[in-house]
Amino acid sequence: MKPINKLVQQEGAIQDRSIFWDEDIYQKEMEEIFARCWLFLTHESIIPDDGDYQATTMGEDSVVVARQKDGSIKAFVNSCTHRGNVVCFSDGGNAKAFTCPYHGWAFGMDGSLVDVPLEKQAYHNDIDKEALGLKKVRVQSYKGFVFGTFDDEAPSLEEYLGGMGWYLDTFMDAPGGAELIGPPMKSILDCNWKNPTENFVGDGYHVGWAHASALEIAGGPLAGAKGNAEYQGVGLQVTVPEGHGFGIIWEAAAALHAGPVHEEYQKWLDERSPAIKEKLGEHREKFYRGHWDAAIFPNCSFLYGTNTFKMWQPRGPHSIEVFTWTLVEKDMPDKLKQMIHAGNMFTFGTAGILESDDGENMEQCTQSNRGYSTRQGTLYLGMGRGMEYQNPELPGLVSDGWINEAPQRGMYRRWAEFMEGKPWNKLSTSAQLDANK
Amino acid sequence: MSKDNNQQAGQSVDQSTHFEVERFLVKEVRALDEERYHDWLGGMLTKDIIYQLPTQEVRYRKDKKVLGNSQTTYLYNDNIDMLGARIARLSTGIVWAEDPRVRNRRIISNIDAEWADVEGEVNVRSAFILFRSRMQRDQATHYGIRMDRLRKEEGQWKLASRVITLDQRVVLDKNIHCFF
Repeated sequence: MKPINKLVQQEGAIQDRSIFWDEDIYQKEMEEIFARCWLFLTHESIIPDDGDYQATTMGEDSVVVARQKDGSIKAFVNSCTHRGNVVCFSDGGNAKAFTCPYHGWAFGMDGSLVDVPLEKQAYHNDIDKEALGLKKVRVQSYKGFVFGTFDDEAPSLEEYLGGMGWYLDTFMDAPGGAELIGPPMKSILDCNWKNPTENFVGDGYHVGWAHASALEIAGGPLAGAKGNAEYQGVGLQVTVPEGHGFGIIWEAAAALHAGPVHEEYQKWLDERSPAIKEKLGEHREKFYRGHWDAAIFPNCSFLYGTNTFKMWQPRGPHSIEVFTWTLVEKDMPDKLKQMIHAGNMFTFGTAGILESDDGENMEQCTQSNRGYSTRQGTLYLGMGRGMEYQNPELPGLVSDGWINEAPQRGMYRRWAEFMEGKPWNKLSTSAQLDANK
Repeated sequence: MSKDNNQQAGQSVDQSTHFEVERFLVKEVRALDEERYHDWLGGMLTKDIIYQLPTQEVRYRKDKKVLGNSQTTYLYNDNIDMLGARIARLSTGIVWAEDPRVRNRRIISNIDAEWADVEGEVNVRSAFILFRSRMQRDQATHYGIRMDRLRKEEGQWKLASRVITLDQRVVLDKNIHCFF
């Protein structure tokens, strides 16, 4: 493995192709990124009652996240501490305990070991059950969105989100808040996990070209983007030092929804805008009415407006599982939620008319690096370099227009910081950036 | 009509109807395999068609609880307009993922046709294999069943609804932007 400053150069603009292919780099990512970062687990509204749970993964670690009797949420590793077998095989549900199918060890919904068969006869009552609970995951929620980390040293989730939190509040802190509709769809892509994250964090560039066919039939405000016909002045891009970022197209939140969904959702946006302005101010009212492509480092992505919410779960350097939920505001009428859910499936579901364009590109961007000589080269994200600036009223670095590669560069800068193994207090923060204003 | 005794809901259709139903299904998959999507949309579907593919969920047998705000998540939940939009997109000539073409091969079997509770309509259960091949060695195979409702309009059988069960939880394919 080359030194990190050779893998990512020029402030994130140049990436060595090996970072999309090499096994040793992937294993280092599991250690430095996936075992440290706050990773999205589920939404509180999916597990409202005592004993409700969801199974998911953090990196390649299988975990269960469960609602406790006291209303709190805990998570633990889905692997028996006796011989390592999986204890929960379902996607989710409601349970009082998980019993390992191998020898019958039973774990409570907080991961503690509660029952061991033949404890008296075979263990002679000499087993320290307290020490044999399932490995704990640290859990915190941000406005109902539940994240976990394996790193006790990690700062709070709020600090981890950094400058992105202020932007996320646009919908997460809207009156009533936001929620996700599950169960998620799941599919696979034979690509490196970073390819889709960089696509969502800031790649407005591909929209007009990769999705030209969908834009042609969709009509509506985004149709003008087809073939890159127009892009000036229609949006903004944001990158925060924590590696998260997004691009926004003004006044386009509902743009990818067709027909009746578009009308109903636009009506909702129009009616709600004054309340957003009152609670969150003018900027975020504008963000509220825009369409976002966004990513929370390392592998959580979403499109606000189209309302798809995704996790790219790494499965080796060249494969991911894609989990897809629908993002809605809690206060929306049920009928509108259902319409948006269906609209999300139609565009960015596994059979979605835009999803299929992306999948092919993600896979080939990774798979081409199979070639040894190809892999010796680098890749280029230099678009709009140097055009990022600080706006006194907005966190992070912003760039005008929605086609720019600043958020992708920010993501790779963050990737390099983690891969260098820097302790948390040496990682860049939005607070430091703001201090320079 | 005096069909009542012979067309009771849930009873297997007669041999001649079964033959017609099977011919319809074979002609339908042929149209899809040959990418004659407009023939399918315009000639083989009713205007009120419901075309659905719900996701699988892996749950313990005894645990029936519906969690929180969960809803059925459909990969397809289309009416005629949505199917039409998909086909319009495929016809733009700028769907890069379909050029070079995806070679789709559909095999239909285990056809079980019963009279529906609406006179003259038929419920048909059929198993399918969909083999998708693209580029050099890119391939995926999907298995499942389809629960169809067929209705005769102007002497022609047409598909009035289809609920597809795809047996995979994690869809082992980069997309399923194809018709089942």
